[in-house]
Amino acid sequence: MSDGTKGAAGPSIPITVEFTGGLELLFGNERKHKVSLPACMDDGNPTNIAYLLPYLVDNLMQDQRKEMFIMEGNVRPGILVLINDADWELEGEETYELQPGDNIVFVSTLHGG
Amino acid sequence: MAPTACFNCKEARAVIIRPKNRHKLCRACFLVVFETEVHETIIGTNLFYPGERVAIGASGGKDSTVLAAVLKTLNERYGYGLDLCLLSIDEGIRGYRDDSLETVKRNAVQYDMPLEILGYGELYGWTMDQVVAQIGKKGNCTYCGVFRRQALDRGAAKLGIKHVVTGHNADDVAETVMMNLLRADLPRLSRGTSIVTESGASDIKRSKPLKYAYEKEIVLYAHHRQLDYFSTECIYSPEAFRGSARTLIKDLEKIRPSSILDIVKSGEDMAALVPQEVNQGGRKCGSTVAAEDDVGGCGSQNGRTSGGEMAAMEKELAENESAESRETEIRLPKGQSLNVSQQKVIKKQTLGHCERCGYLSSQRICKACNLLDGLNRNRPKTAIEVSVGMEDEESSSTLMRQMERTQLTNS
Amino acid sequence: MPAKELVRPCMDCKDAEAILDTRKRQLCGNCFKRFAGHKVLMRMSKYKMKKANRKTPKLLLPLSLGVSSTVLLHMINDDIERQLAKTFVNVGFELNILVVDPSTILAPDAKYDQAYEAVTKAFPKLTFTRLPFHSVFEYVPDMKEIIQEYAGSKITDDESRSNEDRLTAFRAVISTATSKADLDSVLLTRLVVGYAKGLGCETVIWGDSDTRLAAKTLAGVAKGRGASLTWSVSDGMSPWGVAFDFPLRDLSKPELEQFKSVCDDLSEIIVPDEPISDNVLTKNLSIDELMMRYVRTQGEKYRGVMANVSRTANKLESTTASDDALCPLCGGHVGNVKGNSGVTVANQSSDNYSSKFCYGCMRSRPEATC
Repeated sequence: MSDGTKGAAGPSIPITVEFTGGLELLFGNERKHKVSLPACMDDGNPTNIAYLLPYLVDNLMQDQRKEMFIMEGNVRPGILVLINDADWELEGEETYELQPGDNIVFVSTLHGG
Repeated sequence: MAPTACFNCKEARAVIIRPKNRHKLCRACFLVVFETEVHETIIGTNLFYPGERVAIGASGGKDSTVLAAVLKTLNERYGYGLDLCLLSIDEGIRGYRDDSLETVKRNAVQYDMPLEILGYGELYGWTMDQVVAQIGKKGNCTYCGVFRRQALDRGAAKLGIKHVVTGHNADDVAETVMMNLLRADLPRLSRGTSIVTESGASDIKRSKPLKYAYEKEIVLYAHHRQLDYFSTECIYSPEAFRGSARTLIKDLEKIRPSSILDIVKSGEDMAALVPQEVNQGGRKCGSTVAAEDDVGGCGSQNGRTSGGEMAAMEKELAENESAESRETEIRLPKGQSLNVSQQKVIKKQTLGHCERCGYLSSQRICKACNLLDGLNRNRPKTAIEVSVGMEDEESSSTLMRQMERTQLTNS
Repeated sequence: MPAKELVRPCMDCKDAEAILDTRKRQLCGNCFKRFAGHKVLMRMSKYKMKKANRKTPKLLLPLSLGVSSTVLLHMINDDIERQLAKTFVNVGFELNILVVDPSTILAPDAKYDQAYEAVTKAFPKLTFTRLPFHSVFEYVPDMKEIIQEYAGSKITDDESRSNEDRLTAFRAVISTATSKADLDSVLLTRLVVGYAKGLGCETVIWGDSDTRLAAKTLAGVAKGRGASLTWSVSDGMSPWGVAFDFPLRDLSKPELEQFKSVCDDLSEIIVPDEPISDNVLTKNLSIDELMMRYVRTQGEKYRGVMANVSRTANKLESTTASDDALCPLCGGHVGNVKGNSGVTVANQSSDNYSSKFCYGCMRSRPEATC
């Protein structure tokens, strides 16, 4: 998990990431994950969801099938993203800048029941 | 970004954008609006009558869990006077249903509803484990799919209940519309969108009260009410008709979120445009009551298939075409007008009832009874398997895979 | 007898080298042209059946100068030429060609000027007309009022405005790529029909390949326009009393491209499509583009399955009764088609209810937020 401390020169942002609706199966059957991200991205801008997505694939995802979560560089259609319980479309989607203590939930609508 | 206020109450923080009209709603308003729309669908289609006994086909999955929660809420809020119960089907595969049946059992307690779990063993005299023991792992999906299609109706009949509701949502209906265009299935195009489907197993009626509800909103409803549901692995195959349609629909939703409901609207209109002769058996085209559709059971496998069916149909079409082109060449010099009359030839499908079990069937004996005959006569490879491809879009690959896994761990 | 040593002989004439694969057969250029041409002429043959006391039917072929409609024109022209060379001439119809400049170009574009000049030169016996897109306001006189009512407060029309400005202003208030493409095709259909009626044409011969018809069918369904499929992608009567016919419905777009590749004389005419790059993210496509991409990519593997789509749509039967309310903009059904008791529209909240425009048009309306 050395990536979590990448850019550790600056302060870091602790957040919670949750996978539900069957998505947890891709992430070691673990629903809740505590993640600490650098406050700034490589370009100096505050860390946003666009940074978080590949981070999750590289660090938390255990299933090899990346396309079950990410498609065309974004969250696969049919997976909902909630930022502090609000639909991410209300928060600017992948441009949303993460705040300490944020709760990010990924819910699949694609899984059977 | 500053929080957006709810479109409805103008006070609380909006947490939802509704796919169909882009309204931004807070949690409380969303739950009420969602429930109210299901209520409007129920009232608008005269779905229930006071005192009716209704079985909710429950798999423990999101759709049937939300359906149970909403029906309970509405039944109390609007005094429908319904006698609701949960009905689950157990295929009889050791280990496979454990988690989902546990969820359903918890749901029964949470919603204070009686629960009936009926097994394939009770319904057909054969559990899937027994079927597999007899015929082997290959081809058993056919049995499971065919049995599942009738299981809820047979189960309800056993309980003396005449109305089964299932959790099919707007996305499912939209998928079905697209799928029926892809596989050129006019009979199903004419009935796949109906809210009520006649089942055939005696007088049992099947309906889908969530037909206009977005899958997205169902999941959000479950999330915001913190409903307890169970999910399986994501298993749809993009090479199967339903999988291909499903991918398309999720892409459409990204482009224009209303399009799922727009497809349902188109599907309803197209159903009324399917030529009468396609719908034999006295059913009025486009009426609310239609023959039972393929999409299956308690929603667990929900029409996902092992794939390969698009390739199979493609092969068949290519063969027909080459046969046809050989024919055309022969009559090429004269037969100028022939092709014009060829255009509107329509495949007819006559629906009747199975002589043995009374279930709706296009054959004299329905598929399930045929398969049972084979099993009972200890002759597993009945000829019917060959013709199965088209209709059985719900033979289940998950089930197959999970069975293999279960068997591995058990041994 | 064959004297030639052929590496891969054409499966039809066995007398020439096969240069292309089609439907699992290898053909030479000429045999492929005959095969494809035959599919179209079969569909056109109904116009050759002489009926007593009947005037020669007038047909209008809208030409986009793209592959499909240009190939169609070429095929029909070939047949006309063949007929004219015979003693008993039986062309069977009078053909008019209409070129409408695309909505996206407002000023004349050199590319289209050249192509137009080339096509009129290549087919000297045929009658061509070229119109700008905004002439829809000329050929459909009440279009100004319809647009005004449709767009509501979003645009304020004033009489002094030119048709060109009027169209630009209208297109500018349509918010999404899907709605823009949707309304463009509605306006184009109205212009073509308006022109056809003015000319006294009884049928419009559309140059849509089967690929395009499948994409249009799926897109129409996805835009809530399922009720219009009986004429928008099917052979039959349109709401305006002019029949629509789609003679290319047995040929896919790739096959028409193959046709073009063996027809040298078409290369100067055809303005090549600018295909949507694979790099464009799905969410940025219009629904029409998404469906075209879907049908084309799936069609590589499942040509027959994709052909099912338009074939199925073509089997739907129009149930239009004279008292049905039709949308003043697109001609589609307002409300539910007869016998359809669905409650979607009622369930749709006020904006789609009790409107004089149809469901599909309401979805593309400027005020609509989706």
